[in-house]
Amino acid sequence: MNHNPQSSEGRHDDDAALSEFLASLMDFTPTIPDELVEHYLAKSGFQCPDVRLTRLVAVATQKFVAEVANDALQHCKARQATIPKDKKDKQQKDKRLTLTMEDLSKALREYGVNVRHQEYFADSPSAGMDPATRDE
Amino acid sequence: MSDGAGETGRQLEQPKTQRKLGGDDFAQAIAKVAVGQVCESQGFHAIQQSSLETLSDIAALYIQNIGKTALYHANLAGRTECNVFDIMQGLEDIGSAQGFLGASDIDHCIGSSGIARDIIQFVTESEPISFAYAIPRFPVVKERVRTPSFLQTGEEPPADHIPGWLPTFPDPQTYSSSPTSDKRGTESHVAKLDLEREHNNGEKHLINLQPQMASNMVEKPTLIDTTNVKGKKVAGESNPFLAAPLQFGEKEVASLTPPARLFNDVAAANPVVEDFVEDRSISVLDTFAPAIEAINSSQCDLDEEKSKILSNRRPNVHFKIGIKKNFVGRLVDSGPQNEYDKTTLPWFVMEDEKDDRKRRAEKILRESLENPDELVQL
Repeated sequence: MNHNPQSSEGRHDDDAALSEFLASLMDFTPTIPDELVEHYLAKSGFQCPDVRLTRLVAVATQKFVAEVANDALQHCKARQATIPKDKKDKQQKDKRLTLTMEDLSKALREYGVNVRHQEYFADSPSAGMDPATRDE
Repeated sequence: MSDGAGETGRQLEQPKTQRKLGGDDFAQAIAKVAVGQVCESQGFHAIQQSSLETLSDIAALYIQNIGKTALYHANLAGRTECNVFDIMQGLEDIGSAQGFLGASDIDHCIGSSGIARDIIQFVTESEPISFAYAIPRFPVVKERVRTPSFLQTGEEPPADHIPGWLPTFPDPQTYSSSPTSDKRGTESHVAKLDLEREHNNGEKHLINLQPQMASNMVEKPTLIDTTNVKGKKVAGESNPFLAAPLQFGEKEVASLTPPARLFNDVAAANPVVEDFVEDRSISVLDTFAPAIEAINSSQCDLDEEKSKILSNRRPNVHFKIGIKKNFVGRLVDSGPQNEYDKTTLPWFVMEDEKDDRKRRAEKILRESLENPDELVQL
């Protein structure tokens, strides 16, 4: 191929960075457990004994979920900012950030997932425990 | 992190435990916890139950999607096991919808793509939050207990063509026929039949109800054929709405059972007789039932032997009427019973014909004498 030496040098650096990253994954414990990732990867037909690759998938999934959650959080905050100030009680209640289907569906739409808020689903809007009882 | 549903969430969990557990419930529960932890790390305080389920489902699908694309790229390269480049290529495929740094460069190295850099950045920036619970390895694969082979048990295979590494045969009594079971089966059958017969004798009054219904059923085809007045009377009896109104002080008496049964016996024994018997007997039944019953009883007194046979025969008579249970019972041990039927049948029919004649005589007599009201109605 017609690569100049510099780019191949850079590629070598990238390869080194990737292998270094993979090695660092041995110490990193993603939130999504290995067993779960292995289970779903096995369901999809993926097979590889290397635990680093499992961790890589776990990290990628965690990143995806975190991005979606972050987007939903931004939607949630933006929605709370537009709530009229006169309802003090409601405002007090909404201080807590709750991930609702409304925000989640908006966030997921950007990632190519179309979910709709269930119109008549009995999911109480005041879902979530009080901050006092929230011990976890 | 709270699951966001509070009390209602706990109520929702209740039927889930009663439901038959699917293969993936455990994995979904773990995915929920993991997703909840990630959401909490992003700054959420609570999460709705439905959104938690949605997001955990999507996370699981995301993992499977990565696995599929990685496998696809590995297979494309002629491998069965995936390596890191397959995964990175798969991640690029999935992430191409959002776009990433360096996606426009066709010739870029997988290891230096924006996806890899993003992931490395994510790992270095985020503090590691380990999963809240210790998870056992799943799914649990049970080890199968295999049947030992001929070699393991030390047996000789029963034939030369069976190699020694094959599993041994089961015990012979599991597949060869056992002689004891047959006898017992028939004995129990006979006992059952006897019990049924006794049962029938005890429940005659119940069975007496049967002929009424049966006669109603038999009447229907004759309704079409007979156009005379008596036929209409029969129709009136079968249909309460067509029946003539009762006189004052008169009580409606259900058609009495012993004659009805006799009539049915005749009908069942030889269906040719059915039509003309019906025209007379049914109409007579209501009016002259007591008298006929008396005649029958006297006849039985006169001929004790016959009456004995008659009483003995009664369960079989009921069989003909068509109680399903008894039909089945008769079919099972049909041998001796059928012979008995053949020998006794002609006598029985004759008896019934006699009865019929008597009934006719009775009818003519009493119609004129006793019940002028009823005659007017007829």
